[in-house]
Amino acid sequence: MSRKRLAAALAVALACGAAALAGSGTGRGQAAARAAFPTGPVHLTMWWWGEQEAAGAKGWLADTVRLYEQKHPNVTIKTVLQTTDGLIPSFKAAAAAKKGPDLQYFWGGIWSVGDAWAGNTKPVSDYIPRSELRHYLNIREDTWNGKVWTAPWYVQPSFPVLYRKDVLAKAGIAPPRTWSQLLSACDKLNAKGIIPMAGGIKDGWFGGWLFSLIGAQNLRSLSDLLAAVSGEKKFTDPEFVAWWQRLHQMRDHKCWNNDINSLQLYQGQQKWAAGKAAMTITAGSDVKKFVGQVGVAKVGLMPMPKWANGPYAGKLGSTSQTVGITAWTKYPQVDADFIMFMHSPKRMKAWYKITGAFPADDRFDKSQITLPQQRLMFSLVTHGAPYLENFIPTELDSKANFGQSQLLLGGSANAEQAAATTERIAQRIRLTQRQTVANFKSWAASFH
Amino acid sequence: MNVSGAVAADRPHQRRRVRLGRLEPLVWIAPAACVVLFVFGYSMVELVRTALVYQGRWAGLANFRLTLSDSEFRTAVEHNARLLIAVPLLVASALVLAILLFEALRGWRFHRAAIFLPYVLPIPVIGVIFGQLLELNGLLNSALRSLGLGFLAVDWLGQPRWALWTMTGVIIWKELGFGVVLLLARLLSLPMETFEAARIDGARFFRLHRYVTVPQLGGVIAFYVVVEAITMVSWVFNYVYVMTNGQGGPGDATVVSELYIYQTAFQYQAPEVAASAAALLFGATLLLIILFFRVQRRTGVGIDD
Amino acid sequence: MTRALGRVVKHALLVAATAASLAPVYVMVSAALKTQPTFLAHPWGLPLHPTLNGFRSALADQFPRWFANSVILTSASVVATLTLAALAGWGFTRWDFRGRDTLLGVLVSLMVVPPVVLLVPLFVFGVKLGWISTFRLVILIYVGLMLPFSIYMLANFFRTIPRSLIEAAVCDGASSWSVFRRIVLPLSAAPLVTLAIVNLLWVWNELLIALVFLQDDSKKTLMVGITGFQSRYSLNVPVIMSGLTLATLPVVTLYVFGQRYFVRGLVSGAVKGE
Repeated sequence: MSRKRLAAALAVALACGAAALAGSGTGRGQAAARAAFPTGPVHLTMWWWGEQEAAGAKGWLADTVRLYEQKHPNVTIKTVLQTTDGLIPSFKAAAAAKKGPDLQYFWGGIWSVGDAWAGNTKPVSDYIPRSELRHYLNIREDTWNGKVWTAPWYVQPSFPVLYRKDVLAKAGIAPPRTWSQLLSACDKLNAKGIIPMAGGIKDGWFGGWLFSLIGAQNLRSLSDLLAAVSGEKKFTDPEFVAWWQRLHQMRDHKCWNNDINSLQLYQGQQKWAAGKAAMTITAGSDVKKFVGQVGVAKVGLMPMPKWANGPYAGKLGSTSQTVGITAWTKYPQVDADFIMFMHSPKRMKAWYKITGAFPADDRFDKSQITLPQQRLMFSLVTHGAPYLENFIPTELDSKANFGQSQLLLGGSANAEQAAATTERIAQRIRLTQRQTVANFKSWAASFH
Repeated sequence: MNVSGAVAADRPHQRRRVRLGRLEPLVWIAPAACVVLFVFGYSMVELVRTALVYQGRWAGLANFRLTLSDSEFRTAVEHNARLLIAVPLLVASALVLAILLFEALRGWRFHRAAIFLPYVLPIPVIGVIFGQLLELNGLLNSALRSLGLGFLAVDWLGQPRWALWTMTGVIIWKELGFGVVLLLARLLSLPMETFEAARIDGARFFRLHRYVTVPQLGGVIAFYVVVEAITMVSWVFNYVYVMTNGQGGPGDATVVSELYIYQTAFQYQAPEVAASAAALLFGATLLLIILFFRVQRRTGVGIDD
Repeated sequence: MTRALGRVVKHALLVAATAASLAPVYVMVSAALKTQPTFLAHPWGLPLHPTLNGFRSALADQFPRWFANSVILTSASVVATLTLAALAGWGFTRWDFRGRDTLLGVLVSLMVVPPVVLLVPLFVFGVKLGWISTFRLVILIYVGLMLPFSIYMLANFFRTIPRSLIEAAVCDGASSWSVFRRIVLPLSAAPLVTLAIVNLLWVWNELLIALVFLQDDSKKTLMVGITGFQSRYSLNVPVIMSGLTLATLPVVTLYVFGQRYFVRGLVSGAVKGE
């Protein structure tokens, strides 16, 4: 997850910046039209990514294409697996030339609607019936202007807290479900010389995770966050300062390893796997790996302990990786039909079997999941909360969430300072990225 | 001017050579000039153009105002200025080491090779190694703790208060070898009599070097100062990028102007602001270039050994 | 007595400087030969049971690809630079024309323009032509950045070639080209080698331009690669260190065998190694 975002942040910016500079960019989606399934020969191309986080996806996609071509002999689909760094630049280049894939892979939220704003995609909701779409998990994050722009494929649970039952038991503590339980657990564990939570924030990503997991809990609606981005609210409003205060409390109670600032994400998690810490936070796709390393009986999984009563509190963040229909494709209805085929029961079953990742569909037969931690995770993501990091500009994420979390945990900023800096950075973005911010404003309207 | 050579040549040959006469240097220089003109000339023109527009429309100095009003830009510039503190430290240590090597203590060749080694190593490699060494529970601190110096073991790169100083230390570690070799080469080129005479007069180590050696090195030292000052102002991207995972962190504790330009242009999609920041940075180096010329003209150092 | 003490202090200073210079390199090489658990247990210890697993893992990764990319980029841009610089340097030395000194002065001042300044315009140019993630654009940029110093240094050297040698050849009817090839180049072997080494090191170690212009996985250079390498293998330090060792080997080899030339290059001008 973090590597993906690293590359993506760089790539998207490089490509966007370039496109903006080169004075290209605004392709207009043609008027959506529902036509009959073509009978002549149809050649489609799909650019995708995902083998990197859901190993086996490549084989699954090849099977799916083969089966689909058997069903529709006039259709051929070519798939191109992109590299992590290449996914977005290649697509931006294709978009500038208005020539490229018919089907394109997108991460959720801003990654999906961002290309809608640029006019690079046609809304999938114009081609996939609502009765079908409503089963897809996390379509909300890909919705703008009343339309769903890309179709969820599989889920990235973002991000569960893992705890070690053996370590907690040694300290005589039950898994903390509420914030006060968490803080007292930190005190008790510290008294026993056990690190309460393990993490690494040197490379920054963890700051974005913490913002999403803690900051979502008191939000009434996503539109509040989007309004803060566009300037209708402020990041110094109490509802946005609150999460910094929670982080500050964690620092005061020494909830994190003392070297969190000098470790990278995976190094931090490794302390937990090695049994030195009671809890950690991981990507949903890594749960299986960690459970395998530590042992099924020793690992528990839960959402971030609860400190507020907003609709997203006590829930697991959930985001889906998606497939979109490009603005220049000749056969949008065939593209859509193929997406629906990916969601057919047999294909979903095969997907989980091969990759161990969850199909983004509530019709997926979860009796297939045998690992108890994954069962729990699936039921949590089915009723998951939006993943906040997908709803803010990259610049705000890295300067405010990454940077200020480092300063706060490093002891040189308090909650109010962190919030004030965040607002200052947001103000600046409102100045330098006027178009993006205007789009955020209209996106906020989608969530009222 | 080279027509005299045409005596032995036949007529058509001669005519061609004469015609080329004035243009000939151009033919030789043109290929290189094209590349240089493209990389520097085209870029500079485009840079200024980009800095003066916003989304294709004329924006006057608005981008410059936007850049100068950014507190992060000011922080970045301030950090570059703080890095300049490394320059006197570098000069002093290089001087001491060069003199020690010059005195030809036993094994000086080996010491010289060792001290110069860091200067050849790639900065990304150095950055990654020091990243490991300087973790809170990393190699340096574990060594300090086992020596009973645990109180010195701070979070070198993780503490916002320390990070830039740590960075300064690493840069010194790498750049020192250059100064030592430079000064030593100059020392070795000086006439030995100067030192002999002073020795016979009974001058002791400090007096000898303070009044005899250092004055002789004035030019080289000035040259080294300028080169290192330019380094601190405009060549430290690699250190920061590698040692902070591209963040300039913790927070903005190690952001420098180059990283600011890089991030603004390529991560945060504000190429116009990046261009105006780059133009400002260029202005700053221009000042140093003028200084560089002055030094060169005065001493002749840096032109030939 | 004080003299003896002085000697001890002087030696101690030198030894300390040497130790500080070598320690990080020692850590790199020794850690590369350890396993992760041994490294964690005895980070400073000698690798008593050396293993090549770290190197094997590094080589099994994209390392050979990056290495090859760096070799291609480095050799192509250095050869191009030397060729163009030698021609231009001779052009500047052989003929006296109006504006020559001004041109040389401008060239010298370009030596200190920070590459980051050129990044935005060159990137836009690359996008317009579809040249992002191609070697040709990066080679072009590298050559452009290396030319000012290279021309400058060669021009200075060429000036030391005795005028009489050239005049004699010209009297014998030699064309400018053959004067250049038969007289100037053979005399210039040493400065050319120096220049080659200095430039090789610069390109090999360059990060910023490679980072921005070579985004495609298959085009990454060694320096960009190892920068990402440190996150990917953050749990296996020996693999990282093996990678670093491999990346450093060519540089150190060059240093060991070309030390004389290299030092000469440094001393003869403002070489920026970054």
